[in-house]
Amino acid sequence: MTLVAVLVVAAALIGVGVWGVLSQQSFVMVMMGFELALNGVMLAAAGAWRFAAGGEPKGQVLVIVALFVMAIEAAIGFALVVAVYRRRQADTTEGIATMER
Amino acid sequence: MTGWPVDVAFWVLAVGAVWFGWRVFRTDSMVRATFALLVSFLDVGAIMVLLLAEYLGVALFFMMAVEMTVMAIFMVAYMMNPAGLNPMQMVHQPRVAVVAGVLAAAGLAAVAWFADLPSVALVAPQDTIRELGLEVMGESMILMQTAGITLLATMIGAVALTAAHGRFGEATSGSRPPRLDPDAEPVEQEMARPDPHAHHGGHG
Amino acid sequence: MTPATLHPLLAVVVGGLVLAGGAVVVGALDAVVGAAVAGDPRPATAGVRAWRRVVLAWRRPGTVTERPDLVLWVVAPAAYVGVAALALAVLPLGDGIAIADVRTGIVVFGAVEVLAMVAVFLHGWAANSALALVGAYRFVAESLSFLLLSMFVLIAAALPAESMAFGEIVASQQGLWNVVRQPLGLPLFTVVALGTTFWGPLNLPDGADIATGTSLEVGGPAYIAWQVARRAMLAVYAIATSVVFLGGHLGPVLPGPVWLALKSVVVASGFVWLGHRVGRVPMDRFVRVAWTVLLPLSFLHLAVTGAVVLL
Repeated sequence: MTLVAVLVVAAALIGVGVWGVLSQQSFVMVMMGFELALNGVMLAAAGAWRFAAGGEPKGQVLVIVALFVMAIEAAIGFALVVAVYRRRQADTTEGIATMER
Repeated sequence: MTGWPVDVAFWVLAVGAVWFGWRVFRTDSMVRATFALLVSFLDVGAIMVLLLAEYLGVALFFMMAVEMTVMAIFMVAYMMNPAGLNPMQMVHQPRVAVVAGVLAAAGLAAVAWFADLPSVALVAPQDTIRELGLEVMGESMILMQTAGITLLATMIGAVALTAAHGRFGEATSGSRPPRLDPDAEPVEQEMARPDPHAHHGGHG
Repeated sequence: MTPATLHPLLAVVVGGLVLAGGAVVVGALDAVVGAAVAGDPRPATAGVRAWRRVVLAWRRPGTVTERPDLVLWVVAPAAYVGVAALALAVLPLGDGIAIADVRTGIVVFGAVEVLAMVAVFLHGWAANSALALVGAYRFVAESLSFLLLSMFVLIAAALPAESMAFGEIVASQQGLWNVVRQPLGLPLFTVVALGTTFWGPLNLPDGADIATGTSLEVGGPAYIAWQVARRAMLAVYAIATSVVFLGGHLGPVLPGPVWLALKSVVVASGFVWLGHRVGRVPMDRFVRVAWTVLLPLSFLHLAVTGAVVLL
């Protein structure tokens, strides 16, 4: 379990997340891809904290910040999904073509 | 923590996290996809515990289980095929996405592999939680306060976006559903045109 | 203080025995207290007579629904028992005896509650049946309402101990039990305990108004496994309540584990009695009360505890 191993796993998670975000049509699935990518980011931050920063406590704070981002993105994302569905009856990215109207 | 059991555990968890992450987008059943993502998160949380970030790992278990349950409810509400009873293919630009994903993963992995990363051993492995607590209450307090305000704004925003009642009554009263034909005149335009049969109000 | 741990093999045996024994004790208490509340002239033998119900439950017909999610249906009770075992692992069973008294004990306990919510949701979802799904959704709504309660109550208990480990929480009660110096804690934690095991007043997912909800299509051995899992979880919560509020294994003369067992039996009797005396709470009322009354109470409880600790 070395720094490079942890970062490679984190890179794989981010790659799968990016693939998910770009390939999925449904809003909720796009959000799940983004969550997966943030998962990878948190793992990379934790690995860097442990192996490259000597346990500097700000490394753990960075992981907590990524956790906040995940929570905020999930909350606003779901609210937007509901709002868009109510206004446009759209639940996939193909369902809305423009941002106005 | 060192030793071969830790390494074996790490690799099992790591492969599990990536595999379940991939399964999220390949499963037909939406509920299974959500809980596959949960398993991926639990694996990453367990890896963090192995990395001696105990509190973060366990907090990740806690938070992600709640988030995934809420997400499962949204999946069932807004996705077709929540139980995976029909096979379906809901992707667009599949090749672009695969190429982008592979490039992202390969690029980041290459950075990790070839860069000369510093290596500083953990100074006080038994004090990680205490250090985190002191940091959060000390130097990073302003960050936590800002995050607190941001979370409050998020909560208010989420309620504002989705509340069914506005200040003056039902939020959708007077509105009409959008047209199903994308080329037809938008409903708002039709509603904004003055009605020729309506009586105009008195003057003065 | 280094957390105490048992040898892994011994830990598995001890954990299994406590869970199984706890489930049997809770089942017996349920029968005895239920008989006493119902006015049975010989409640003490009700524990033995309860075995007849177990045999009847074995013959309960299960329904073969259309396209159930079999993997999740099997995973759900296993996951429920698994997280009950995880919760038991972080509780101290005696002075220096614990399966894994980790430093983040209360967070693990919170994670167990959430994972139990996931397990019950899957149990209701997997059957592909309408009422089962209604039960699952009710449990998610109910569970989200009391999860925050549990975290605030446990954090308030951890404040005097200056540690998140349950062993330290017990040690901090040497002078005075938490039930005395944190009076709001025990009632709030009772709500959490009854909720996570969906017992009595909070039996919304498996309630009789939805014809046993998530267990509707479950028959025979699987149904018994589910009920045993619930009783095991209630036993774990009784032990947790004793550890957090009643001083755990502290006490004169008798050895630690015996004190813990006595206190847990008293608490479990209390839970079971509440289950028989208080009717099932309607869901919208419970959610409203939990968010508008109980949650502010738990904030107040935490703030007062913090102030007392600082002063």
